[in-house]
Amino acid sequence: MDDERLTRDVPAVALRDVGYAYVTAGAVTQALAGVSLEVPRGGTVAFVGPSGCGKSTLLKLISGLLPATVGTIAVDGRPVTGPLTNVGMAFQNPVLLPWRSVLDNVLLPLEILRANGDPRAPESDRWRDRAVTLLATVGLSGAERRQPRELSGGMRQRVSLCRALIHQPAMLLLDEPFAALDAFTREEMWELYQRLRAEREFTGVLVTHDLREAIFLADTIYVLASHPGRIAHTHRVALPRPRTLSLVYGAEGSELMRLMREQIRPARETAA
Amino acid sequence: MGPRARRVVLPLAVFVGLVLAWEGAVVVLRVQPIVLPPPSGVALTMARTAGPIAFHAWHTLVTTLLGFVAAVGLGLLLGFAIGGSATVNDAIYPLLVGFNSIPKAAVVPLLVMWFGIGTVPAVLTAFLLAFFPVAVNVAVLATLETELRDVPRSLGASRWQIFRKVGVPRTMPLFFASLKVAVSSAFVGSVIAETVASNAGIGYLMAVAASDFNTRLAFGGLAVLAGMGVLLYGIFAIIERRVTAWAYAE
Repeated sequence: MDDERLTRDVPAVALRDVGYAYVTAGAVTQALAGVSLEVPRGGTVAFVGPSGCGKSTLLKLISGLLPATVGTIAVDGRPVTGPLTNVGMAFQNPVLLPWRSVLDNVLLPLEILRANGDPRAPESDRWRDRAVTLLATVGLSGAERRQPRELSGGMRQRVSLCRALIHQPAMLLLDEPFAALDAFTREEMWELYQRLRAEREFTGVLVTHDLREAIFLADTIYVLASHPGRIAHTHRVALPRPRTLSLVYGAEGSELMRLMREQIRPARETAA
Repeated sequence: MGPRARRVVLPLAVFVGLVLAWEGAVVVLRVQPIVLPPPSGVALTMARTAGPIAFHAWHTLVTTLLGFVAAVGLGLLLGFAIGGSATVNDAIYPLLVGFNSIPKAAVVPLLVMWFGIGTVPAVLTAFLLAFFPVAVNVAVLATLETELRDVPRSLGASRWQIFRKVGVPRTMPLFFASLKVAVSSAFVGSVIAETVASNAGIGYLMAVAASDFNTRLAFGGLAVLAGMGVLLYGIFAIIERRVTAWAYAE
């Protein structure tokens, strides 16, 4: 990537005193206040916390889909002023386009970038190979021509991940991406994410309710409190990589999980 | 019998049964043909006047389709405008609903004043009846899930690109569903106008048959209308299934 030299020492994401407020029915709601953090290039951070603590809002602020009310957000050292095009997003709902095949769903980002003259989109004759390779990485070889309705929830989420990664974004933003999956599929997805991260260089920002998921995937976990949404606790996850399920379910992981649960509980009670 | 065959054979059997019962009742009860002709008599008249009936049916079909095509065009435009902009929605939607509650038959005399007796009022009546279902269904465009917008937006897609790549295809099932409703409405509209203000078309044929007390021909016209209505609806129902199969899978 051209600007790698430039951004090596600059954090992938830097937030300084970021706040977000919105007005509904004449009342101002302070959704987030005083959020400062840095995500190093290639790192993965996770936001956990009670419902309504502004986790998803934080993700939208970083992606530029929402403008911060106060504070500054910089990605790769540049202030965020509008929607970033160098990110991939995946949500709890995989939102595949049901009228497109798996392959055409994965190719959507390239179509849009190409139409907008973005240099990161290759010539269209190379799209297919790239998508087929990526789909193979997530275990979906041969599924290119299938329709989203024919796939299981886990398979759809894999396709959604491929769509988020096809344009080789510098950052992957995940909003509870595996929350709707059964426990075993979810653990498979954690391992898939870990593998993808080892193979491709991207910075990950994850919003999740699942503390195990945060421990498995993140280098740093931010526990948010609500009213207003703010960072209450920060945990570095010291577990070595690659992580395994037994490591995460082991003593150290369980201790961290217990601690975070204690930190979220009072926040839940005040929120209710 | 399989479930598919059942769905064809059962209604067909009931239909044939009803026709036979009608025929039998007319004969047994000695009903005056001028009040209620037997189906066999209707069929005979239809066969004898096949030429004129075909001419008038063709005229009604063309009138209906002209009004229908115009309605689809305007309905699409209006629907996209309403679905694409909250301002347009707030400004136009209530008016549209109000306009739609006017019985369109009441507009026909006005159309005759402006355009005279003939094809134009019939085409316009068909159009007036048919554009509303198209516009309302296409306007559903506005209710795109946030994530469906966020994915293309986070790639730098413009509003126009989101509209074209996500909004329009997602609206297609509703659009095609509205076509079969719209074509039936257009058909109703053209026949209503033909009945009172035309000199061609099945509606006109029936009006003439009624003034001549030609009950057989009136029933013949009714049978043709029934057939045409089912055919038009059926064609667009099949197109809908073919084009937007993905919307019916779950």
